[in-house]
Amino acid sequence: MATTTASLNSTAAVSAAPVKSHRRMGGGRIVAWTALIIIILVTLFPFYWMLRTALSTTNALFSDPAKLLPVEFTWGAFARVLGLATPAEARAEGGSGASVQFFLYLRNSAIFSIVATAGQVFCSALAAYAFARLKWPGRNIVFFLFLTALMVPPIYTALPNFILIKNLGLLNTFPGLIAPYFFMTPFAIFFLRQFFLGLSQEIEEAAKLDGAGHWRIFFQIILPMSSAPLVTLGILTFINMWNEYLWPLLVGTGENTRVLTVALGVFRTQSPQSGPDWAGLMAAVLIAALPLLILFFAFAKRIVNSIGFSGMK
Amino acid sequence: MANLRKKFSALVVGAAALSLTLTACGGGGDSGSGGGGGGSGDDAIDTSNVSGEIDYWLWESAQQPAYQKCADKFQAANPNTKIKIGQFAWDDYWNKLNNAFVAGDAPDVFTDHLAKYPEYITNEQLVPLDATLKKDGFNVDQYQPGLADLWVGSDGKRYGLPKDFDTTAVFYNKKLVKDAGISEDQLKAMTWNPKDGGTYEKMAAHLTVDVNGKRGDEAGFDKSKVKVYGLGLDGGGGNGVGQTQWSMYTGSNGWTFTDKNPWGTHYNYDQPQFQETIGWVRTLIDKGYMPSIPAVTGQSSSDIFAAGKYAMLVNGSWVTNAMFSAKGIETGLAPTPVGPTGKNASMYNGLADSIWVGTDNKPLSAKWVEFLGSPECQNIVGEAAVVFPAIPSGTKIAEAAWKAKGIDLEPFTSHLENKTTFLFPITDHASQIEGIMQPAMDAVLTGQADPSSFTEANNQVNALFG
Amino acid sequence: MSDTWVPAEVVTSEDVSRRPRRRSGGGGDLAMALVFIIPATIGFVVFYLYPSIRGFYFSLTRYNLLGSPHFIGVDNYVRLVNDKLFWNALLVTVEYVLINIGLQTILAVGIAVLMHRLTKSTLVRGLILMPFLISNVIAALLWFWLLDYQVGLVNEFISFVGLDRIAFFGDGKWAIPTIALVNVWRHMGYTALLVFAGLQTIPSYVYEAASVDGSTEWRSFWRITLPLLRPILALVLVITVTGSFQVFDTVAVTTRGGPVNASRVMQYYIVQKGFQQGEFGYASAISVILFIILAIVALVQLRLLRAGESDLA
Repeated sequence: MATTTASLNSTAAVSAAPVKSHRRMGGGRIVAWTALIIIILVTLFPFYWMLRTALSTTNALFSDPAKLLPVEFTWGAFARVLGLATPAEARAEGGSGASVQFFLYLRNSAIFSIVATAGQVFCSALAAYAFARLKWPGRNIVFFLFLTALMVPPIYTALPNFILIKNLGLLNTFPGLIAPYFFMTPFAIFFLRQFFLGLSQEIEEAAKLDGAGHWRIFFQIILPMSSAPLVTLGILTFINMWNEYLWPLLVGTGENTRVLTVALGVFRTQSPQSGPDWAGLMAAVLIAALPLLILFFAFAKRIVNSIGFSGMK
Repeated sequence: MANLRKKFSALVVGAAALSLTLTACGGGGDSGSGGGGGGSGDDAIDTSNVSGEIDYWLWESAQQPAYQKCADKFQAANPNTKIKIGQFAWDDYWNKLNNAFVAGDAPDVFTDHLAKYPEYITNEQLVPLDATLKKDGFNVDQYQPGLADLWVGSDGKRYGLPKDFDTTAVFYNKKLVKDAGISEDQLKAMTWNPKDGGTYEKMAAHLTVDVNGKRGDEAGFDKSKVKVYGLGLDGGGGNGVGQTQWSMYTGSNGWTFTDKNPWGTHYNYDQPQFQETIGWVRTLIDKGYMPSIPAVTGQSSSDIFAAGKYAMLVNGSWVTNAMFSAKGIETGLAPTPVGPTGKNASMYNGLADSIWVGTDNKPLSAKWVEFLGSPECQNIVGEAAVVFPAIPSGTKIAEAAWKAKGIDLEPFTSHLENKTTFLFPITDHASQIEGIMQPAMDAVLTGQADPSSFTEANNQVNALFG
Repeated sequence: MSDTWVPAEVVTSEDVSRRPRRRSGGGGDLAMALVFIIPATIGFVVFYLYPSIRGFYFSLTRYNLLGSPHFIGVDNYVRLVNDKLFWNALLVTVEYVLINIGLQTILAVGIAVLMHRLTKSTLVRGLILMPFLISNVIAALLWFWLLDYQVGLVNEFISFVGLDRIAFFGDGKWAIPTIALVNVWRHMGYTALLVFAGLQTIPSYVYEAASVDGSTEWRSFWRITLPLLRPILALVLVITVTGSFQVFDTVAVTTRGGPVNASRVMQYYIVQKGFQQGEFGYASAISVILFIILAIVALVQLRLLRAGESDLA
C-alpha cells in the first residue's frame, strides 16, 4: 500500500491525508484505465470490421453478415485496389472491373497534401502572430472576420472557386488544385493564435530589449517554442488534405492530378440502388489511411514533448 | 464606441457596394452556359468530316469496357478522332455534371437520364438532333417501341438517342421457395388485387418466416420477429415514381401517372386506383410480409437478398448481375403479378446520350452520338451482358449472352412482346415533385397518414404546373 | 483609420501604453501586421470573402444556376419565415448539435486528461486518433452497414440476445441521435488531440505546487486544468459547434433527410433546395441565416470564454 505513493504525487511530503488519497488514487486509476480501454475498443472495433471485410469476397459477404472472421478469405480486394487484378478477376469477386493506377494517384495525393499543408501552416502562422502579438487597430474585428470564413458552407465556396480556377485556366493542374487551401484556413489561424496567446511573453520581452524586430522574434523565438502545436496542426491539416474529396473531384479529373480519394471512388456505388464493392472499398480505405498512420507515429513524439518552456531560470 | 459603429457601417456599405460591382461583372462568370445560347439552333450539323477530341461521360463502370470497345471501333473508322471516356460513380455523376454546366466545362457528350433531362431542356443545355439526323438519313425507328419518343422534348425536338432500356420483374430465392413447398410455375402465374392481394399475397404470407419458424399464414406468427420476409422492398417508398416499389401494381390496376406521358401537366395521385394500391402495400407491411420503411433504410435490397432475408423481391433489370452473383443463393426470375386489368405491368425506363450545347466540336459529337445509337455499338454493349440495348438486335444479343451464363431473362423481355409496359413519368418540375411526394409516400407507408392524404399532395404537385 | 488625433491626456481606451518604451511600437504595429497577414488575406478574400458576398447577393434573387439571376429583393427571406421545413431544419439541427457537442466535448476532455495523466504512450494517442483518418463519408457508410436493421452486426447481436431490433437510421426517434453518435465516434479522438495539445501548455510545476498543498486529482482538474485550458477550450468549442451546425456528409450518405423530415438538417435542406430543386436563390437566403446564427453563437462563445486572453501569459 505504501509503495503506491510513487504514483502521481511525486513529492515526499506525506501528511495525514495521503493514506486516504492514494487508496482513492489506486481505485481511481483502475477506473480510469478501464474507461480508457473501453474507449479504445469502441474506437477500434470498426477498423477490425474494415479489415475483416477487406479480406472477404464481396459476392459472399452477405451470406454470413454477422461473421466476425473474413467471409471467403481472399486477397482479391487489395489486388483490385493496387491495380493488380484483371477486370475478369475483379468481376468474379463482385468488383467493378475498373482499373486503378494506384501509385500514380498516391503520388498525386502526396504532392497535393504536402504542398497545401506547408503553405497553409506557414501562412496561417504568420497571420496568427499578427493577431496574437502585434497591436494594431481593428485587430479583433479582422480576426473575427477571418473566423467567419468557417461559417460559409463549403458547397457555396466550391462553385465560385471552380469557376474562378476554370477562368484562370488552372483546371487539372496542381496549382489549381492547391490554391484554395494554400493560403489559410480559419481553423489554422484560430488554432495558432490561441497557442501564441498562451506563450509566456518574458522571452520575447527580453529579445525586444536586445533590439530584436518582429521578424526575428517570429522566426527565432515563437516558431521554435511552438513546435508542438505547429506539428499538431501540420498533422491535422495533412489528414484533412489527404481526405479531401469534393474539390479534387471537381478540379482534378485528369490522370495526372487525380488524387487517391477521388480515384478510389470506383469502389463506391456505381449504379443507383445497388451496393458498393465492399471488400474493395474497405481495402481502399485502409490503404489510403496507412500513410496517415505512418506520418502520425513518425511525428507523435514531437506532439508529446512539452513546449520546453523555460521562463523560470 | 462611435468608432466601432463607424467601422461597422463602413463594412456594411463596403460589402453592399462590392456585391453590386460583383454582380455587374460576376454575372458572366457563371452563365458561361449562355455562351452557346444562340447557337443551339436547329441547323443540321455536318458530320461528313470529323476530327478532334471530345469527352464522353457515363456512370456505370461495368459498362465502361464495352463503350471503350465502341470508341476504339469508332476511332478506327474515323482517323484523327479521339473519344475520352470519363466514368464517375452514380453519387458523384450528377454533382460533377451540374457543376460543369454552370462553369461551362461540361463534357461534349454524356449519358442522360429521364428524370434530369427535362430540366436540362428548360435551361437550354442540350443540342437538338432532328435536323442532323434527317440530313444523315438516320433511322430513329430502329429502337424498341416507345423508347425513341421518350427523348423528344415538350418543344417537339429530339434531344437524345436511346441506348438501353430496363423493366422490372420478381427475383426469388429458389431454396426458400422450395422449402415453402411452392413450385416455380406457381410463382410465374401470380395474381394480385387491392382487396385481398390474390395469390401474390398468399405466396408472400407463406414465404414469410419468423424467428420461431412459424410461417406468415400460420397461427402464432409473430410479425415483430420476422426472420425472412416473403416480399422485400427496394430501398424505401419510391417517392412519387415507385419504379421497383409499387408502380407494377398501380400499372396493372389501370392507373396512369399523368394525363399524358411524356409531358403531362396533371398528376393523378388523387385517383382511387392509386390510393387503394398504396393502401394495400401498407397492409403487407402491417402484416409483416414486407419490411417497413425504417427496416429498409440501410443496405441495398440486393445485399439484403444475398443475406437470405427476402424470399421474393421486385427489382430492375439493371441489378440482374448483382442479384445472380450472390454466393450461396440460387436466384430465380418470375414476371410481375397480373392485376385487376387482367395483365401484368412494368415501368419502362431508358437512358440516352445527349450533346451539351456548349461543345466546341459539334460534328464529332453528333457523329459519336449517332454511332452510339447504331447497331454497331449497341451489339457490342449487348455482348457484355450488363444492360439491354435499345436496338432489338442488341437486345437479342444481350439475352443470348445472359443465357450463356445460365440466366433466362424472359420475365423482363416478355413485357415488350406483350406490350405491358408503361413509361417512366416525364414532366417538368421533377425535383420539386420528388420533394413533395417523398415525405408523403413515407408518411403513408409508415402508417402516419392515410392514403387519402395523397389528394392534398396531388394538389400541391399540380399547383406547380399552374 | 486610427484614433491618433485624440490628445494624449484625454485618451481612456486600453490602448494607453503603460510602459513608455512601447510608444514606438504600440498601435503602430500596423505596417508590420499588414505584412504578416498578406498571404492569409489573399486566400481569405479570393476564396472565402468573394464567394460569400456573391452568395449574399444570390439570396436576394431567384436563380437556378443555369440561367441568370433575377433580383427579387427580400422575398426569399419572407418565404423562409413561413416555411415549415425551414423551422424543422433549424430544430433538427439544434437537437443534433446539442447531442453531438455535449457528448463529444465531455469525452474529448476526459480522454485528453486520461492520456495526459495516465500514460505517455504515443501508441494510445495514435489509436484514439484513428477514426479521424477516414473521411466523414466512409465513416458514415461503415456505420450505416454496422447499424443496419436487417444485416448489421449490431442488430444481429441485439436479435441474438432476444431483444427487438432497432432501426437506428430508419426510426424518427433514433435518426438524429445515431448520426450524432457516428460523428462523435469520428471526432472525439481529434478533439481530444486538440485538448491534449492545450494540456501540454500547462507547466507541470503548477500541478506539483497544487499537490504539495494537498489537492486531489479531481480538484486539480476543476481548479487548475480547466481554467488554464480556456483558450484551447474556446478554440475547440467554436470549431466543433460551427462544424456541427454544418453537418451534411453523414446525412447525405445515410438518411437523406428522412424518415419523413426527421433528419433534414439545415445544410441538407440548403443543398436540396439549391442544387437539386434549382432554387439557388432561396437556398442562399437560408445559408445567410445559418451564417448569422453561427456568427452570433461564435461571438457569444468567444466573449463568454474570454478567448482573447490567457491566464498563463
